Amino acid sequence: MRVRMLAAAAVAVLTVGGTAACGGSADDSGAVTLKLGFYAAAGDPADTTMRELVKEFTAANPSIKVELEVAPYVKFFERLRTQIAGGQAPQVWLSDGVLVQEFAARGALADLTDRVKTVNADDYSGIELNRDAKGRIYGFPQGAQTPVLFYNKKLFADAKVAEPTADWTYDDLAAAAKKLTTDTNGDGKPDTYGFRAYSPGFTESWWPIIKAFGGDIVTDGNRKVVVDSQQSKAALDWMLGAMGKDGFAPDYATTEGLGKGVVHTLFATGRVAMSYGIYARSLPATTAGVDFGVAPMPKGPAGRGNVAIVNSWVVNKTASAAQADAAWKWITFFSGEGPQRKWAELGEAIPINKKVASTALPADRHAFLDSLDAATDLGVNAVWSEYTEALSKRINEALSGATPVDTALTAGQKDAQEVIDRFYAGQTQ
Amino acid sequence: MTVLTGRAGKAGKAGKTAADRRPSARKRLAGERAWAIGFASPYLLHLVALAAWPLLASLWFSMTDYDLVSSPKFIGFDNFVRMFNDGLFWRTLGNTAYFAVLFVPTQTALALGLAIALNQRLRGMALFRAAYFVPVVSSWVVVAYVADAVFNPQTGLANQVLDFFGLPAENWLQDPALVIPTLAAVAVWKGVGYMMVLFLAGLQAIPEERYEAAKIDGASAWNRFRYITLPGISGTTFLVLVLTSIETLQSFEQVFVMTDGGPHGASELTVLHLYRQGFQFFQMGYASAIAWVLFVLVLALTLVQFRLQRRWVHYA
Repeated sequence: MRVRMLAAAAVAVLTVGGTAACGGSADDSGAVTLKLGFYAAAGDPADTTMRELVKEFTAANPSIKVELEVAPYVKFFERLRTQIAGGQAPQVWLSDGVLVQEFAARGALADLTDRVKTVNADDYSGIELNRDAKGRIYGFPQGAQTPVLFYNKKLFADAKVAEPTADWTYDDLAAAAKKLTTDTNGDGKPDTYGFRAYSPGFTESWWPIIKAFGGDIVTDGNRKVVVDSQQSKAALDWMLGAMGKDGFAPDYATTEGLGKGVVHTLFATGRVAMSYGIYARSLPATTAGVDFGVAPMPKGPAGRGNVAIVNSWVVNKTASAAQADAAWKWITFFSGEGPQRKWAELGEAIPINKKVASTALPADRHAFLDSLDAATDLGVNAVWSEYTEALSKRINEALSGATPVDTALTAGQKDAQEVIDRFYAGQTQ
Repeated sequence: MTVLTGRAGKAGKAGKTAADRRPSARKRLAGERAWAIGFASPYLLHLVALAAWPLLASLWFSMTDYDLVSSPKFIGFDNFVRMFNDGLFWRTLGNTAYFAVLFVPTQTALALGLAIALNQRLRGMALFRAAYFVPVVSSWVVVAYVADAVFNPQTGLANQVLDFFGLPAENWLQDPALVIPTLAAVAVWKGVGYMMVLFLAGLQAIPEERYEAAKIDGASAWNRFRYITLPGISGTTFLVLVLTSIETLQSFEQVFVMTDGGPHGASELTVLHLYRQGFQFFQMGYASAIAWVLFVLVLALTLVQFRLQRRWVHYA
């Protein structure tokens, strides 16, 4: 009797579990439930637009029911990791571009290489930036970010300095920045700096500068750290000069002292006349009423050092065939002209649909598109978060003046390489 | 037991007595045990499901390579070997120890001082006690904003005070040499109210007659404090030291909100390091190993404190 009861209970548990597990698969009528995750702060216009697009999508595809999972960025990815562990992750989610390979290398994502072949790759930006060392693609672009040079037109006019051009070099940038640095209240500290050189977000700081000076960060399929070079040293020395003897950029302590995230508002609040910024920085500047222009980043000895991040849709490897199909349908829907145009209105990212990008962006913002075309990826690999953090710590030590540049670069290269080697040691993928 | 068995044997022959009809002591005990287990079972279930099981799982994970996505792979003690060779782990442990050395004695001494100052029968004293307790119930996010108002290098009150005295401004949270002392100061400000309440309770438990007798004998204020108050609250002091030490080794929220471990790792405490490994870098196995080492450290420290308390704690 007892054994029979236990068996019945086990069957009941398995039945409930099985039903739950199959909850998102297609039923007999062909209907499928798709859990879709994306990150947005509460009340963010991006949240509203995404919900509107989901409504449009489900109206056009009545057999697909979409359940949304939204959370602010940090919370979203923190929860996602535990959801994956518990088999409860969305079937399709928006990934920060730099995290795609982290999830893919751990077997969490479906390989989209064959599906990507079904679209005309020439119509979209950033597909190649998602290709891993073995040529596989695990994410399809949702929106692109690439840094260009933002400049405040009013501050340039007030200081009677000519606006940046595509021919600018780092010397031109420094010369203009010095003229734009002003101390209006006479306390010995500039109230307006010409340029913002240091940022904790290295995409808009030391990464492109090192590349422009001829250095590099990682090579060989992003598995070999090569940052310890004379070119990198020259780049960091240029930054230290800007924040030190030349005095046209706020130093490390001043920038960090502003608090988390405030560094990104330095340009919007007029504290700096020029700053490297990704497309998303347009929004706070526009909201603050800053009359600004964008120009290509200046030329260094080895070019402009353009880099890009392509935030991407990824599909959960555990999604059923019907869910994966529905997820791909959503991805192609979102990449279409209508949704891309609607998303572009937010001013949050460069549309990845090239046709939309060429018309949605005003002519004087096309520096973003040129930069995107010339960009390389941000050294993404399976341990991007960890190795870039190890490297950043060392480089920031140098930029704060706590450690000589040479020492910091040598230590940073060693620390970052250790992280990469630990992961890839003995791996075949 | 033999007596009971003997009686039962006799009763078997002569028929049942009233005493035999009562449940035997053994049966009564068994019944009481069943009731006890019944009443304790919700807690036991909670203990097993939400404490013991996760603890054992974490111990297992500490001996695996577990990235949260694929199945854990058993790797023996590799995570522990890696940890002992991980310079960053030792650095975070050093940061934590430095934080503890500054925080524990400062908070304990200040809490005791405040408790003595506020252990008076004066009007409005409850208001002062409440004022010191307010930071305790505030979240770290709120405290971080308050701390920024004080320690912001450009606009903060601390640098304005330095400027008033003609001293140079400091980068309180951006200077590797100053960040831990500044964090310790903020932590003391936030936590001192709670420990002050514990000391107040301890002070109020000391019989007034002891002070009266000492006064009659001509003892000075210092001697009354040294020979009556301090021994009288030694139990509370011990509790405060144990709680504060454990709290320090588990510190996370404050650095996560205020510095994120910066500048360049100077304030990265061990639990923040653990969090990063587990939840940012997909290394739950390694994070579990750090958690267990931290657990052993907390346990060892607490045991040492328990051992030492025999020499100086008096329970009156």
